[in-house]
Amino acid sequence: MKAMSRDRLLAWLEELAGRSTLIGPRIVGEKILYKPVHHSAEIVLDFAKTDLSAKEYFLPSTEAILSVKREKKGFDVEEPSLHGRQIIFGLRPCDARALRVLDALFLNKEPADPYYAERREKTTLIGLACREMGDECFCTSLGLAPDEANDVDLMLTEMAGEYAIRAVTAKGKALLGAAVLQEVEGVPPNPFVRQKQVPILEVGKWPERFDSPFWAHLSDRCLSCRLCTYVCPTCRCFDIRDVELSDKEIERLRAWDSCMAEGYRRIAGGHNPRPAKAERLRNRFYCKFCYYPQDFGPVACVGCGRCIAQCPVNVDAVEVLEGLSAL
Amino acid sequence: MIEQIRDKARELLESKQISCFIGYERGTRGKTHPAFIYNPQEVGRLVWDESCTHNLTVYLHQFKNPVKRGEPPPRVGILLKPCDTRSLNVLFHEKQIDRARVYVVGLACEGVKGNGRLAGRCQRCSERLPLVYDLLLGEKPEPTGREDYAEVADLEAMSPKERLAFWAREFERCIRCYACRQACPACYCFECVAEQLDPPWMGIAIDLSQKQFFHVMRAYHLAGRCAGCNACEEACPMEIPLSLLNRKIAKELEALFGYKVGQDAITPPPLATFKKEEEVPL
Repeated sequence: MKAMSRDRLLAWLEELAGRSTLIGPRIVGEKILYKPVHHSAEIVLDFAKTDLSAKEYFLPSTEAILSVKREKKGFDVEEPSLHGRQIIFGLRPCDARALRVLDALFLNKEPADPYYAERREKTTLIGLACREMGDECFCTSLGLAPDEANDVDLMLTEMAGEYAIRAVTAKGKALLGAAVLQEVEGVPPNPFVRQKQVPILEVGKWPERFDSPFWAHLSDRCLSCRLCTYVCPTCRCFDIRDVELSDKEIERLRAWDSCMAEGYRRIAGGHNPRPAKAERLRNRFYCKFCYYPQDFGPVACVGCGRCIAQCPVNVDAVEVLEGLSAL
Repeated sequence: MIEQIRDKARELLESKQISCFIGYERGTRGKTHPAFIYNPQEVGRLVWDESCTHNLTVYLHQFKNPVKRGEPPPRVGILLKPCDTRSLNVLFHEKQIDRARVYVVGLACEGVKGNGRLAGRCQRCSERLPLVYDLLLGEKPEPTGREDYAEVADLEAMSPKERLAFWAREFERCIRCYACRQACPACYCFECVAEQLDPPWMGIAIDLSQKQFFHVMRAYHLAGRCAGCNACEEACPMEIPLSLLNRKIAKELEALFGYKVGQDAITPPPLATFKKEEEVPL
């Protein structure tokens, strides 16, 4: 098995940061977030999972997709060029799988989203296997494993102070290039996996639960904020709006939006088909486990547990899924 | 105390004086969350201890409208800590909640804990007894704290440039999830400035300028109305010290007008009234 020592890994990351945009887990305030890294010393190697996913590097929370300027004769229309190549280090298997989930909509369904597609193409993913499932994690219930390597280009697994390294794709192999690796004996230990499985209802079982009073009871305490959707690695709704920069220039922005927002579904004339927060909270679960698999294939949840960990009023996806399957 | 709370909730529900009792219950993973009890047989779910951090007043807004057209809005029972009752007074004063439509079980409070530590607002709390209630449970605990605005003074000691950098660093983490606003009992606008489409006061960009705009705007809209319950900060997933903005304004209001928010439901808040003899430096 090929491996790198911790020091060697940090030196390699330092080198990568010098010649490319490197994004890795960093401490920001009291949070751990995927952020651009300039020196490998800024990287956190021992962490459970980041507080936000890496989706913003593929679907930025805000991006300008067009600018229009009035010139003396006619208009100048410009599409801002996207940034160059980027490397994401320390991606957890759930966050990598989340990109596959997003691919189903943004890449595999015609027409592909050009902004997402370009970022995806220009990004190399270096995965870092989890040593154990966290308190809120339920990835194994969604067909994943804490050391799943199928969704990254290069997979790192910690073993006795070394990092076993495996090129999964040609992209990963190319990135590894001439990096000095050493041969180590044995195989990485299996991660700690909780045996408990969360029941995931099949698509066909969802419609009959739509009118259950379950949703109204669950949503009584929901604050109807956007937190769960913004920390979610697979929630992908966005809004597009033109912003006037001056009387001669506008910019077309695309920014995250959330189905949990009261006005999300409001339509011309003022009608709102989902006026109650119970309907909005229900929609979030139906979108993930019923509509998205129906329309695009994969279930839009990877069991990362961020919504569970961060909900201010303890709306717990595991409790919801268990409650629903018991109905 | 919990048995008294459950007995009262049961009695109110059984006699149909209320249709729902809002309290706390144990949730998953050792957490405590707001509870909504409609059935008197379920009062056993209710709990009360130092993990009951939420300000339940925010949920009264969802009972403002009648369940059926033509009926009066439902009457609810609610469990409130002293700090929460300040919020309730604000809502009474602003005619958001009809006093007759809410039964308040007020608790003498020794403070709540987050992450194993007594919450900051509890360390500073000088009340410890609810300001408005129908039933008071518990004895006033001693000793009480004092609001000295120490953290606000730390901010004031910074140069404007340093302070700007401080807030830029904090707001940079904001994801515009609006958990702060949604957890706030005083943020009940039908349509928030931040989401208004016409005119579009605020853009959709999740960038620093919009985030700063949002938080400063929100703090201004809460001037003289923020009861200091800290629900915003506790809901924030990014641990932004939002209450510092509100406490700075509270400090100024106290110094200028001797006014403290939510002490009763009658005194007009200084920013909602004007006296001819007032001379306020602009």
